[in-house]
Amino acid sequence: MPGPEGRADDRTLVEQAARGDREAFGALVQRHQDRIFNLAYQVVRNREDALDVAQEAFVKAFASLPSFKGEASFTTWMHRIVVNLAIDCLRRRRRGDPTTYDDRLAVPEDGAQNLAAPDDPETALETRQVRSLLSRGIESLPPAHRAVLVLREIEGLSYDEIARAVGCSLGTVMSRLFYARRKLQKVLRPNLDDLR
Amino acid sequence: MKHAHWLHTLGGSGRRLAAYAAGELSPADRDRVASMVAACRGCRRTVDGYRQAAAALRGWPRVGLTAEEAAAFVPEVNRRIDRGRAVSPRPVRPGLREVVWDHPRLSVASAFTAILLLIGLTLSQVQMWGLSGTTGRNGVEIISVDVDEDTSVMVFQPPGTALKVIWVFEDRSI
Repeated sequence: MPGPEGRADDRTLVEQAARGDREAFGALVQRHQDRIFNLAYQVVRNREDALDVAQEAFVKAFASLPSFKGEASFTTWMHRIVVNLAIDCLRRRRRGDPTTYDDRLAVPEDGAQNLAAPDDPETALETRQVRSLLSRGIESLPPAHRAVLVLREIEGLSYDEIARAVGCSLGTVMSRLFYARRKLQKVLRPNLDDLR
Repeated sequence: MKHAHWLHTLGGSGRRLAAYAAGELSPADRDRVASMVAACRGCRRTVDGYRQAAAALRGWPRVGLTAEEAAAFVPEVNRRIDRGRAVSPRPVRPGLREVVWDHPRLSVASAFTAILLLIGLTLSQVQMWGLSGTTGRNGVEIISVDVDEDTSVMVFQPPGTALKVIWVFEDRSI
């Protein structure tokens, strides 16, 4: 999460970019591209689509910069854009565009929390099994539910932040999160005993 | 006392169980749910499932751009801006299933209202036309209607009589 200095830098770059400074916008994109790509990937779960969604999110952001009031941080604002585009991408995909899912969680970021490499081979196997089950569970969720789950459980956003990012009420966030969690719990539960 | 686990997974109780596993309950609610979970084996397994899913998601590996993708990212964004792709495609509207899942109470209420409306309309039709479909609200039974090119004949029977009335409609312009 960027500190106060990071936010101030963002604000300056946003102001410059809003006046049409493409170099400042480029710097802004470069600073956030990895995080935005990761968020897009967690929702769409396909590398090619995630790249397209992330790039499109910045294109949309550039067009909307003059109306960006700075009430929320640039990151929160970008969350909203990328999540909506990712949800649209999933809905389009569900309505007929066949896409192959990409289960490889490649290129982990430096310093990122990663359970992929525990020393104990038994634990590593268990982690892989749990991830595989969850992956299938996540993919079976409706797009909007998936987005809320990712924002809460992976990105660690508060309910308020999620409501702002997704553009719905707090009650809807709670409802979507409950259904998503219940679905994953149901997917995992029959295997709990086997994994122990 | 025997606890029925399925009762604890319905509606508000189910939500409280999920929120309890996520540590999102107020202290008072937490204590209440904790005592419920302590007495219910199924609830404990459900809570374990929630917690394991949450733990796995928290440790979900982040996915980064490859060096190649990272280098090409800004130029591609600039290319799209120059190409005028700033106008994004029209958002895709949520499907019916999503709307129902998001607003379960509203959906049930809407379905209930629709059923009531349907029953009301059917009853009003029955009252207006009678069950036979040819008897009016005032009890007049229409026995037959014949329509010809220049003449129409309708035979009907007023209520409570054996009298049959024949109405003939003629087109006098011919």
